Amino acid sequence: MQPSRDSFPVVGIGASAGGVEALSRLFHQLGTELHAAFVVVTHLARHRESLLPEILARYTAMPVVAAIDGQPIEPGRLYLNSPDTILTVMNGRFVVTERTEERNPIDILLASVAVSAGHRAIAVILSGTGTDGAIGVKAVREAGGLTLAQRFDGDLNAHHGMPDAAVATGFVDDVLPIEALAARLADYITSFGATVLPDTAADESARGQLDGAKAEICAILNARVGHDFSGYKTSTFLRRLARRMLVRRILDLPGYVAFIRANGEEADLLFRELLIGVSSFFRNPGAYDVLAAQAIPHLFSGRDSIRVWVPGCSTGEEAYTLAILLREHAGTSQARLQIFATDVDENALAVARQGRYPARLLETQPPERLARFFVREGSSYAVAKEIRDICMFACHSLIRDPPFSRVDLISCRNLLIYFGADLQNQVMPLFHYAIRPGGFLFLGSSEHASRHTALFEPLDSKHRVFRRRDLPGRPTIFSAAMQSAGQRALRAGAIGPAAGKSAIVARGQALVLERYAPAHVVINRDGSVLHFSVRTGKYLEAPTGSPSRDLLAMVRRGLAPALRSALKETAETGRVARRDNVGMQTEAGTQPVNLVLQPIQDRGPEAEWLVVFTDAMPPDAQAARAAAPPVERDEAIRQLEAEVGETRQQLASTIEEHLLSEEELKSVNEEMLSMNEELQSANEELETSKEELQSVNEELHSVNAELSDKVDELDRSNNDVRNLLDSTQIATLFLDESLNIRTFTPAVSEVFRLLPGDRGRSILDFGNALDYGELADDANATLASGAALERKLVTRDGTTHFLVRLLPYRKADDVIDGVILTFVNVTSLVELGQQQALVSELNHRVKNVLAVVSSLAHQLARRCATLQEFDAGFADRMAGLASTHSILARNNWVSAPLVGLILGELHAFVADAGRVTVSGPEVQLNPHAATTLGIAIHELATNAVKYGALAAERGRLVVTWAFEMRDAAEWLVLEWRENGGPPVVEPQRKSFGTELIERSLAYEFDGSARIEFLPDGVVVTLALPGEHVTRGAGPS
Amino acid sequence: MGEPGVLIVEDEMLLAMMYEDVLSAEGWRIVGPVGRLDKAIALARNAAFDVALLDVNLHGEPSYPIARVLAERGIPFAFVTGYEGDIVAPNFQGRPVLTKPCRAAEIVTVLRNLLASAQDAGPGLAPAG
Repeated sequence: MQPSRDSFPVVGIGASAGGVEALSRLFHQLGTELHAAFVVVTHLARHRESLLPEILARYTAMPVVAAIDGQPIEPGRLYLNSPDTILTVMNGRFVVTERTEERNPIDILLASVAVSAGHRAIAVILSGTGTDGAIGVKAVREAGGLTLAQRFDGDLNAHHGMPDAAVATGFVDDVLPIEALAARLADYITSFGATVLPDTAADESARGQLDGAKAEICAILNARVGHDFSGYKTSTFLRRLARRMLVRRILDLPGYVAFIRANGEEADLLFRELLIGVSSFFRNPGAYDVLAAQAIPHLFSGRDSIRVWVPGCSTGEEAYTLAILLREHAGTSQARLQIFATDVDENALAVARQGRYPARLLETQPPERLARFFVREGSSYAVAKEIRDICMFACHSLIRDPPFSRVDLISCRNLLIYFGADLQNQVMPLFHYAIRPGGFLFLGSSEHASRHTALFEPLDSKHRVFRRRDLPGRPTIFSAAMQSAGQRALRAGAIGPAAGKSAIVARGQALVLERYAPAHVVINRDGSVLHFSVRTGKYLEAPTGSPSRDLLAMVRRGLAPALRSALKETAETGRVARRDNVGMQTEAGTQPVNLVLQPIQDRGPEAEWLVVFTDAMPPDAQAARAAAPPVERDEAIRQLEAEVGETRQQLASTIEEHLLSEEELKSVNEEMLSMNEELQSANEELETSKEELQSVNEELHSVNAELSDKVDELDRSNNDVRNLLDSTQIATLFLDESLNIRTFTPAVSEVFRLLPGDRGRSILDFGNALDYGELADDANATLASGAALERKLVTRDGTTHFLVRLLPYRKADDVIDGVILTFVNVTSLVELGQQQALVSELNHRVKNVLAVVSSLAHQLARRCATLQEFDAGFADRMAGLASTHSILARNNWVSAPLVGLILGELHAFVADAGRVTVSGPEVQLNPHAATTLGIAIHELATNAVKYGALAAERGRLVVTWAFEMRDAAEWLVLEWRENGGPPVVEPQRKSFGTELIERSLAYEFDGSARIEFLPDGVVVTLALPGEHVTRGAGPS
Repeated sequence: MGEPGVLIVEDEMLLAMMYEDVLSAEGWRIVGPVGRLDKAIALARNAAFDVALLDVNLHGEPSYPIARVLAERGIPFAFVTGYEGDIVAPNFQGRPVLTKPCRAAEIVTVLRNLLASAQDAGPGLAPAG
């Protein structure tokens, strides 16, 4: 057990909405000198610092501290939970964990306090909405602690959800306004340490005193509620007795015994206190084992639907336990499981529907079961959907409402103990009705069906498993509560002992009552009529004035005085009172009547009496009858007998009809009841689906909001895209996979003549300004490979250049769904590129020319003796070079016609008819060859003019050229033949020109130059490989 | 060691003649000159010389194959081009480039520097060939 220093009460206080005020008032009232620890848990907003510590510190002298993980609980302190944490207590120390999914921090705290502190635990539920705390209160109470809840007197704005839910569990000791609650709490804590029971260990006589008191209390309880506790465990008995004494603030045993003797209500409370067990999953596991072994297999045999009814399900543990048990034993059965769990308490049902329980409640369950049927959410467990879906929770009163029907099993544990014998007598036939033939009844360990062995046969008496017996006939059962008290009184006599008899007997009794019994009425103590029998009209008549049930006002004249005295007598003695030959005034005269007053039951204010009226035969009437003439009398008798016979026949058929219609009504009624039950379960299902729908609706709302945001965004993007398409200068064409036009930008009109109406037509139907025959192939290649493709194309007229790009059109899922073609007009770029290339080439050429010029100058300078000589030679060669260049320039530096080069040097002489002949095929030289040959021809021409054929009047020059094959290659061979000039002398030293001619062809082109100084004139043969030459006229 | 050898590669004969004149006057032994790519590669591969002067553009073809042979042999060389200097291929950047028309003194200086750097590096680094 706990060390003694720990033996102080631990007060767990739960509060929520409206809680700050309640807590302030509570601690303001409470005072300071209390040897108890206070732990306050409130529903704190997440991620926000709470101001509660400062507020409470104003109202109490106790240190107000935030509970810290691992810290021991000490008395005289006020602990608070921190935001985003879950506070529990374990072995006298705080355990603070991060809050994740838990919604019921108060339940979690109280449940842990109940385990940790046991009977020292005190639960206080203050203002708040919701149901948090209800399960915690139950746990504290089951541990033997005190439970209190706040009461709101007439405060319409009060948040009373939490206290109401706690109270509805039936486990709250006191419901008080906050000031009274504080006083009560202080009182309890103060007297907590006091020993209310004598210490048996120290004092032998105390044991005797205790045993005596126990025996006495047991006797009182037995008399009061018919339950014998003498076999109950003494320690438990005494602990619970002590708690009641503390709650009642009666601190000595004899005083309490006297109190309980005088006070029936306290006896009931003590009875309940003693019966409290630990409500949990699989409470009394042995009983469930028996149920699983003996009943459940029968349920599953050959059934496609199993219906279980759990009346008084409270917070749902029993219903969920059965659901788990059924699931575990369902095996491969596909049977539909339905558990109707009912209770009169909506708050308890709300807790049950949530299906969320503190982990402590489930600690003893095997891990496989927890894993399969529960979902852990922080410090609590939620029932798995599989189990939750089986159970339907509905508000339903076992007493008031029609029962469910055709159920396979009723599990009603620890509910009947709260019912008196009367109610039990009502409920057991009701259970019998509700259970289908062969079904089962499962009761709590303190309940029994032994008084109803006619209805139920025990399968296991110890664990209270019963099987329904089949009965002949159809006992009427559930009208009891709906009928008047008088009928109930009659029924109490009829059903109790006669319950086992057949319906025929009952019907016989009813007939006797109807036909042969004397007229009678049932009245209560006040003389008000509760029930009339048949044929009372003779003795009663409706009084004048407003209708009344007062019998004394109703009896015919003459009866009232005798009746009044008889009533008085019976009220005093409780015995039968008779009054014979009372004279009753009728229209026919005075009729003597015998009155009998018979008590049916004599319980205090509910006393019910039977008043029986019988006709007494007056002596003079008997005499008169004897004196009447026999013949007349016989005639009269015959007539009367005939009339009576007729009337009887009519009556019999009327009765028959009546019975038939009654039967019909009964079956209709039953149908309606079953229908009602179906409707109730449907209603329950609807309620559940309504909740689901509500949350779905919430979700839909937010999804909708998101969606409309997205639609707006999409609209914007669409506008952007449309504007982009309209404004872009890049011709863009969207094709689908069959190359039909999807859409295009206006700029496409540069390439294709498309109109907006052409969407959907194949692009191949349209001609284009480009010479783009490969369009279909390219597009299909892009569709197939997904790779981009690029082409440079020129319009047919050659003026416009386009860069065509083909890109795959990819959908969001990356599937290729078409082709995008873009046509970028790159004309200006292309032209710019050409220009740049031209400039760069020009630069290169100029530099080359300059290099040649400087080289020429260098060579000449070496050979010329004088500056004049250099000057003339240099100028002459520059002129030759310039002539070649101008010919090249005329041909865009692509080529130069050979004939042009020759004529450029010799044009002056060609005009002089016959002196110069130039002939050969049309040939174009590339620029390099043109330059080199140009220099050579210039040198030859200069020499011819200076020293050769052109220096003399009659000199002639013939220049011819032709293509020749040499070593399988084509060569251009040019012959320069002079004659008729001055005598030829081969120079001693090669002139610069000669050297240049000879070397340059060989050096630069692998060609050759041969210079022959023949007597007639110089003959020069130049040979150039054909690769430097093209035939034809060349570009103009 | 004798007089230093220089390989002249230039497709324009007049320019080749000028280089020849200038360099022989400066005491160089002339190898070539040569203006055609195939011949130039053969000389570059087999002839004995110390430095080379390469025209970048030979009849429209770049002279880089020659440059590669020279680089393999570890023979220093300089480019001559009529284009702007940065036209030389990336893997030969860093080699001296002379822009046409170039002055005689400039050619002589560049080739001397190349010769000096090759001798500093020592004969061991130059592969035999």
